[in-house]
Amino acid sequence: MALLELSGLTKRFGSFTALDNISLGIERGEVHCLLGENGAGKSTLCNLIFGVHKPDAGTMQLGGTPLHPRGPAEAIERGIVMVHQHFSLVPNMSVAENLMLGRAKAVLKPQDIIVRMGQLAAEYGLQVDPNVLIEDLSVGERQRVEIIKCLLGDPQLLVLDEPTAVLQPDEIDALLDICRQLTVRGKSVILVTHKLGEIGRVADRTTVLRQGKIIETVAMEGADIRSLVRSMVGRDVQSAGSVLAATVDMEEEAAAHPAAGHASDANGAPLVPEATGQAALRLSDLVYRDADGVIKLDGVNLSVNPGEIVGVAGVEGNGQTELGWILAGLASPASGSIFVGGRNLDGCTPQQITEAGVGIVPEDRHAVACIKELSLAENLFLGSINKFSRFGLLDKSARRKAAETMMREFDVRASSSDVPMSGLSGGNQQKAVLARELSLDPLLFLLAAQPTRGLDVGAIEAVYGRIRAARDTGLGVLLISSELEELMAVSDRIVVIYRGKLVGELKAGSFSREAIGSMMSGHEHV
Amino acid sequence: MKTSKLTSSGPRSWSDLVPLQVLVPILSTVVALGIGLLIIAATGGSVTEAIEAFWDGMAGSDYNIGASLNRAISLGLVGLGFIFANRANLTNVGGEGQLAIGGMIATAVALHGAGSLPFGLAFLVPLAAGAIAGGVWGGLAGFLKAKRGTNEVISTLLLSFIALPIVYWSVESFHLLRKPITDLSSLPESPEIPDPTKLPLLFPDNGSPLHIGLLLAVLAVVVVWLVLKHSTLGLRLKAVGLNETASRRAGLRTSFYIILAMVVSGGLGGLGGAIMILGQQFYLTSDFSSGYGFDGLVVGLLSRGSAVGVVIGALLFGFLRSGSINMEITAHVPSAVVLICQGLIVIFIAGSAIFTNRKANR
Repeated sequence: MALLELSGLTKRFGSFTALDNISLGIERGEVHCLLGENGAGKSTLCNLIFGVHKPDAGTMQLGGTPLHPRGPAEAIERGIVMVHQHFSLVPNMSVAENLMLGRAKAVLKPQDIIVRMGQLAAEYGLQVDPNVLIEDLSVGERQRVEIIKCLLGDPQLLVLDEPTAVLQPDEIDALLDICRQLTVRGKSVILVTHKLGEIGRVADRTTVLRQGKIIETVAMEGADIRSLVRSMVGRDVQSAGSVLAATVDMEEEAAAHPAAGHASDANGAPLVPEATGQAALRLSDLVYRDADGVIKLDGVNLSVNPGEIVGVAGVEGNGQTELGWILAGLASPASGSIFVGGRNLDGCTPQQITEAGVGIVPEDRHAVACIKELSLAENLFLGSINKFSRFGLLDKSARRKAAETMMREFDVRASSSDVPMSGLSGGNQQKAVLARELSLDPLLFLLAAQPTRGLDVGAIEAVYGRIRAARDTGLGVLLISSELEELMAVSDRIVVIYRGKLVGELKAGSFSREAIGSMMSGHEHV
Repeated sequence: MKTSKLTSSGPRSWSDLVPLQVLVPILSTVVALGIGLLIIAATGGSVTEAIEAFWDGMAGSDYNIGASLNRAISLGLVGLGFIFANRANLTNVGGEGQLAIGGMIATAVALHGAGSLPFGLAFLVPLAAGAIAGGVWGGLAGFLKAKRGTNEVISTLLLSFIALPIVYWSVESFHLLRKPITDLSSLPESPEIPDPTKLPLLFPDNGSPLHIGLLLAVLAVVVVWLVLKHSTLGLRLKAVGLNETASRRAGLRTSFYIILAMVVSGGLGGLGGAIMILGQQFYLTSDFSSGYGFDGLVVGLLSRGSAVGVVIGALLFGFLRSGSINMEITAHVPSAVVLICQGLIVIFIAGSAIFTNRKANR
């Protein structure tokens, strides 16, 4: 008898069927992964189990008795807990205070919480200082607090909705360890993800969802990751090699590259390669201080040649975000210069930067790249609506035509160019942003910051294809990413950033996870 | 999560809601007036007398219809200003101050020289001056917002509390706009503006006070509608209002658009104030704005961003105000009753949004 038995679950939103006749059993003591592209129904399924939504048809049983949670509170009572993608912690309260929220009855007993935290730390290695404020914790630590919050009541089933999307590699390892620890103690874990590598490492069984239906449920022992990708996407993924390398951190892929890490310079001397004509991008002695005066970029020197993809590797928070903002014209450096195609862009507005031939795919798609309330067409021509202006009035039919051409060319899928950006999947949003930026004329240089974050395999493949194609037409590309595999799959050269400094450089063919990893963590290279 | 978001915030055309959108204001008004009548009856007033006086005041004669429309003009202009700024996600609650400053400057220009200008410039120049003054007053808040991030709700409100005493000062001080004291009953107010600066009447023969301000207001409605719905400027304002960072990245000069939105918004209010003086009052008093700015704000709020909605709201409030004034004078029913009705209408319409939205989200 499985711990959780789902049979015939169906959930519709309006005319859209999010889940269609789902039947599935979750065993005691297993890590069960839910795999699927964006919009496949993974999160909806979790929300049904956790009582956020009610199913339109079908039944659920937990431990042999029917489960009809009318809300999360009832689900929690039955021993089901969930960690959402977005945390529900109060930043300016301490860890212990957050853990007491919603749990304390009448009298606060911080000692009890601290004792319980001690037990959990001993059992699962979930160490957090109870007295520290949430806002002083890293994302990984905050997630740990969320998990501790879930475990306080000794639940039977833990649902984790894309928990690794926000984590650093070492934090991911720790989280996966915790999942295994939980199963050892007889608890079950449902893990939603679209990172195939994690599945290989932690799952006992995996269920693949596509368009609201279960495609297959497979035991992971001896399973073929490639066949999982096929059922997830519904077709063979082209250039499977590089995409898989990026999404599946299979050791053999990494090992295929000889580990001959060669950092050209760790002593701080410039890493400018021999100049061949005008560099697409040249940064010279770029220094940036944040509002508090903290140095975020510390004398960055870098050249990107035309027809070259340069990857920037680094643990997040080492200056990549700031570099992206400066290149986009949204922040000004304290000192140093930026040249694109030989032209100095110091002090330029975003518009001047665009006109100089710089395309920007920003790290934060929703805050910077697009306006999600506006339509797809409006977003595609946000900076160039003057093209469609007649005496100040907007020629919407001409814009629609241009948008449709662009949608075809870049394979942006939407029912029309008038749907709001928020109605598109993450992959299509990103394709739209790429379409807009790659359609700039002139275009000499492209910054792609975390371009595949939150995208599924099919979309990642498309994004890589676009970036490579643009490179092949002579564009210089700077790729900022926290996914090592992505950098190694796409870049012609990788530089490593650590505490605002470029600390090393490797050329294609000599990429090695170990070398890059050690430079990323601030250790001298091998 | 993702799928539910997709469906609950998917594209939904306003046309789905049109029947409700028409029904709700009508029902709200009817119910609110019914409650008003109940109050009148409960306080011992004569309901029939009150209704008669109310109707007479609103539309009992050509004169009253004209006066009601004149009121609607200024309310509508303030309301248009509100939705214009609101397109850039700015909430201009300072219509009262912008209207007052516009009226004061228009008076000053009309009194000092404009009267001798030819070809209608005699009234057009003061109108323009009033609009510019209101624009400056609104633009101040826009500037503070764009450069210093000052919340425009607070700054526009506080600027109103500065504007009203300035108007008071100007009619109290002989150096400014106060007319000379000729006898004991001389009130602190400006002299009457010269005849050429008064707005020409549309129907001079039948005694209606309706003036060409109506044409200006209609023109303003069309222009604002075009700009907000069909122009690149409208789209840019919307983009800046929705996401300033993304707009900046896309090359829009966000500060410029924020200031522009507030200048136009304040300018429409200032024009409304100028029209009040040049159209019907003809001299400046310290309290000539008497809440028109705040009523105009309510008109803008209730229109939910639609220029047509502003027209309907302005007419409704303009006629209600006329009726209530007459009701107070002839039936001795306190005009506060109508204020209560206005408040109820606002609550009903705003409250109905909860239900219409919920219905739409289902």
